[in-house]
Amino acid sequence: MSKTTSTDVLVIGGGLSGCMAAINAANHGAKVTILEKSHIERSGAAGTGNDHFWHWNPDIHPKLGWTIADMVRDISFDGEYGKTKGGYIDQELCEIVAAGTMEAVNNLESWGVQFKYDEIFPWNLQYEVPKGEKKYRIVPQFQSEWDTLNYDGRDLKKRLTEQCVKRRVKIFNRMAATGLLTKDRQIVGATGVDMRTGEFHVFKAKVVIMATGMDQSRLFTAPSGNWFNAQSPPTITGDGEAMAIRAGAEVFILQAGKTTNAGFQYMKNLVRSSGAATTCYPAGRYVNSEGETMIKHPAVREPLRKKRENVETSIREGKTPFYLDFTDAKEEEIAYAEWSYGNEGLCWVILEIMKDLGLDFRKDAFELALEPTGRLTDGFLALWINTECSSNVPGLFACSPVQFAGEVAAPTAAVLGWRSGEKAAKYSKEMEEHELDEKQIEAEKIRTTSPLKNTDGFTWQEVNLELNNIMEKYKRYVAGFNPSGIKDEISVTGIKTCLEQLEKLVASKMKAKDPHELVRCNEVINLIDVAKLMIRAAIEPEQYENSIWFLGKIVDNKPIFRKIPIKIKYPSKEAA
Amino acid sequence: MPPIIKDNCIACFKCVEICPTDILREGEGKPVVAYPEECWHCGACMMDCPVSAIKLDLPLWMRPVTKKVKK
Repeated sequence: MSKTTSTDVLVIGGGLSGCMAAINAANHGAKVTILEKSHIERSGAAGTGNDHFWHWNPDIHPKLGWTIADMVRDISFDGEYGKTKGGYIDQELCEIVAAGTMEAVNNLESWGVQFKYDEIFPWNLQYEVPKGEKKYRIVPQFQSEWDTLNYDGRDLKKRLTEQCVKRRVKIFNRMAATGLLTKDRQIVGATGVDMRTGEFHVFKAKVVIMATGMDQSRLFTAPSGNWFNAQSPPTITGDGEAMAIRAGAEVFILQAGKTTNAGFQYMKNLVRSSGAATTCYPAGRYVNSEGETMIKHPAVREPLRKKRENVETSIREGKTPFYLDFTDAKEEEIAYAEWSYGNEGLCWVILEIMKDLGLDFRKDAFELALEPTGRLTDGFLALWINTECSSNVPGLFACSPVQFAGEVAAPTAAVLGWRSGEKAAKYSKEMEEHELDEKQIEAEKIRTTSPLKNTDGFTWQEVNLELNNIMEKYKRYVAGFNPSGIKDEISVTGIKTCLEQLEKLVASKMKAKDPHELVRCNEVINLIDVAKLMIRAAIEPEQYENSIWFLGKIVDNKPIFRKIPIKIKYPSKEAA
Repeated sequence: MPPIIKDNCIACFKCVEICPTDILREGEGKPVVAYPEECWHCGACMMDCPVSAIKLDLPLWMRPVTKKVKK
């Protein structure tokens, strides 16, 4: 008999979204348990901080004549940007996120995260407050709007952990969830493996909230060639998606996604520096090799087309490489950017390393990694939820990964986390506790712990590498559908065959020398499950003709796909 | 390079507790890097070390490439 814990609401993943979900589920009277694969104090994409938070402020923005509709348009649709990215936004969810951001900020502030300051600067939005009151440091982030708060978010996760503990949320650190338990399709719990001890656990729950994060790291070859030199946590490996797929959940598949901002995503070699674009405001400029400014404030999305033109002109003229250059900025602007770097998890380390290497933003320019502008890369798979944060599987809610709700990661996680917590807690009150199926548990235990017993077999690394090789072909395949990409003649059925061969080859033949490696093995298996569904979507040519968006559903173990209608209600500001 | 544990380490093992990619383990008297190739270089260990006993260096292929603009 495996060790069993009972709870009302089980939250899988203790990052920003999972913590918000747990806190609000507890606020609504539920008994809550979090399964966290890392450690809750520093886990997830916000683990080592966040310095910018896109928000809608009902006290400030209406006075600027700016509505929630403008917010949604700003992050989803802007001419060329919208053509490549805006089409796959879930507008309803996006509006919910925008409307919920101020509540999230107020909550975080009440828990000790500093958002308001005595001093604000000329490059912050200037607005009036009653005498003696502190102000928000508001900066532009997207096209041109003053939409984003700069703040001290380095210890965000510590503050969230305190609130979870205060509400007696039971936290299992180093607990990697492996599968959802079901009874007649109803979610009745989940299983997990302790990454330090290898112990198999059973969690009985009335409802599960999936909060494992918005990515599938390690599915594709890493930009730097190293899986752990990554922007997103390299441990976000599609675990939640794979568990949900196996339980019959509808998913959102983006055949290709993530265009880069005018071609620059990060400093050369440092994939984790991607926050630089937003975080270097107002001091950093993007310049070409001659020092000519191509993009004045990378944080501000002046028309993307203009930025691309500047970049492309410099390439034609041979004025490469490109640099992030602070050296022309005023001292107080550089000091502000350094404050932001210190709060942004992606960037704090850079400041520390710079000290050791004798580098200074005041003197040195940093080479940028140039990626083909506007290229669609990789793929993306997430759970499909309704506005109640519920999936199609009874008892399975989700806040991250879910279908795309605009390019605002932390606000989406915070708002949908909060919302899913309330919805799931209410749902759990209507539910009886179900008896668990011992056979299902036993099968899951064998499936997820067998690599520990194998002395011969494949390591997680070699299986992961081969999966990357296969998925690189997929990447080239989808690139053929990008208007600016090169059409590549690769057979998608061939990719499917490779993937099936890999799965057959490694089934029950992976080995792990310890529980840590066991979890890595299970991560790779999850990535293969995610990859399989992506490829299945790609081999439906009649669906693929006009659209790159699919909604997948498993019926009788067969995926069924349909196109997602692209809905954009708001005209662009120019057209209006 | 993955974290380097300096001599002033007080063996509180906070870094072992919180490492996001689970690369650290309790050794005799100080933490040891058990899975060096899985370091995310996120700096969580440095941030949470109460006595600043952790130094994080970058492998050559992760170092920023820079140009001197001003002396």
